[in-house]
Amino acid sequence: MAFTRINGKMVEALVAPGQQLFSQRGAMLAYTGDVRFTPSITGGQGGVMSMIGRRVANEDTPLMTVEGEGRVMFGHGGHHVHVVDLTGDTLFVESDRLLAFDGTLRQSTVFLGSQGGVMGMVRGQVSGQGLFTTRLEGHGSAAVLAHGGVLELPITPGQPVHVDPQAYVGHRGEVRNKLSTAIGWREMIGRGSGEAFQLELSGQGTVYVQASEEKL
Amino acid sequence: MSYPPQPPYGAPQPPYDQPTEPGFVVPPLPPAAPAPPGYGPPQGYPPPEPTYVDLQPAHAPAQFDGPAVHDAYTLPVNDNVNPYAFSVELNGSHFLQKGKMIAYYGDITFRGVGAGLVDRALGQHFNSPMHAADWVVAQGRGKLLLADRSFDLNSYDLEDGNLTVRSGNLLAFDPTLRLKQSIIPGFLTLLGTGRFVAASNGPVHFVEPPIRVDPQALVGWADCPAPCHHYDHAYLHGVVGGLRRLTGIGGASGEEHQFEFIGAGQVLLQSSEKLLAERSVGVVGAEAGVPMGGVPTQPGHDAGNPQTPGLGNLGDLGRRFGL
Repeated sequence: MAFTRINGKMVEALVAPGQQLFSQRGAMLAYTGDVRFTPSITGGQGGVMSMIGRRVANEDTPLMTVEGEGRVMFGHGGHHVHVVDLTGDTLFVESDRLLAFDGTLRQSTVFLGSQGGVMGMVRGQVSGQGLFTTRLEGHGSAAVLAHGGVLELPITPGQPVHVDPQAYVGHRGEVRNKLSTAIGWREMIGRGSGEAFQLELSGQGTVYVQASEEKL
Repeated sequence: MSYPPQPPYGAPQPPYDQPTEPGFVVPPLPPAAPAPPGYGPPQGYPPPEPTYVDLQPAHAPAQFDGPAVHDAYTLPVNDNVNPYAFSVELNGSHFLQKGKMIAYYGDITFRGVGAGLVDRALGQHFNSPMHAADWVVAQGRGKLLLADRSFDLNSYDLEDGNLTVRSGNLLAFDPTLRLKQSIIPGFLTLLGTGRFVAASNGPVHFVEPPIRVDPQALVGWADCPAPCHHYDHAYLHGVVGGLRRLTGIGGASGEEHQFEFIGAGQVLLQSSEKLLAERSVGVVGAEAGVPMGGVPTQPGHDAGNPQTPGLGNLGDLGRRFGL
């Protein structure tokens, strides 16, 4: 919707008066027209309480508000950019992977431990996500960064998807995730396959996977 | 006038669209004439038009799985092998940046610019002596493969034109072009007719002025009369802005400074803000009227710190408390 893909590493956003856009600070590549970039003190939406929540949760990637009239190009660090269009559903993604998103999306921070208890926290640690992640919901688009290209894997009931935690980018829809382990004696003596932890996603939705095991 | 009409090599698509994936959008061309013995008939370096027919095996992997196997005959002639490697058909001499050659077929020698005989013959086309240490001349016949840390490569044709490019991004150029140092520090200007190869972090995107560009995203520009700095101080005005300025709280958006381009021409953007390794651009003689005279570095790379140095900046405290 708001984002047009220019190439694998660059998106263009149309900014119209009265519409707001959030983007990572410093991720603007170029713009035409009359566009203003204001650092967003609260780091997104939802007022001061949300800001405090994000600070506590370490999900407070510096954001800026983009307003005005014109076209802005975004990109960051040579990472691949994937545009996700949300139509009333939810997207879960790490805040530092969020390149830009529509102001129409509601942004909130969720605790991973609420899904899966202690294992949820372990999962957060293993996948490098920490204990919290960012949730976007509503109607609008979000541009997500990934190292290497992004592929979308559909998740349908009865067909869970297993993902390497390091290659996991985010997911959307009604998805439950849990960490599955395959630790045996081989891991104990240091001869493991390197795939001891996997993220198992089940339910209905889509998981985004990057073609790299490098974190951003 | 000169630069725009040329589509990138072997890519008969609209020129400014997606120049970086020339190899993958090329429609199959009729197979080229059977490869001549040796490295092709001797011809002047800029090969006559028909020779840049794409030798199809280079792009076969788009349809078939498995790696493409090239030999001296099937390597593309002055075209991309894939987005990250460029094959130059050498017959004569060619300038290239040090360390960008990854392989070659044939009989090619590499000499530093400034080495006696070479220098005398080519010196008139290398008009930026500060860069001599960064460049070598490849001489001989054969095919030369260029690559740079898996950055996207593109070739550009100039026809009696001018194009200015960030010094770290230029990989190689025809000796028919003249290389000069731009008066904008850190950039090199190519003049004349010929082809050059430039690297970019991510595909290059062409835009037309008027546009404001993040300094790190700028690869270069062609025919633009007036590149200038644009500072956006609007965020510093008003009560909130004043507070922010005084305390440093709130930080800066990181987008207060852009390069502004107006007039006719093209601006080349790379899709990332990660710069290629800087090439030393040499010390400009410190004399009146020379920008950055006596300063070897270029602006925009000094700080990765997005906090504005306000009057009473809290320094690191602001960041520490997440403000």
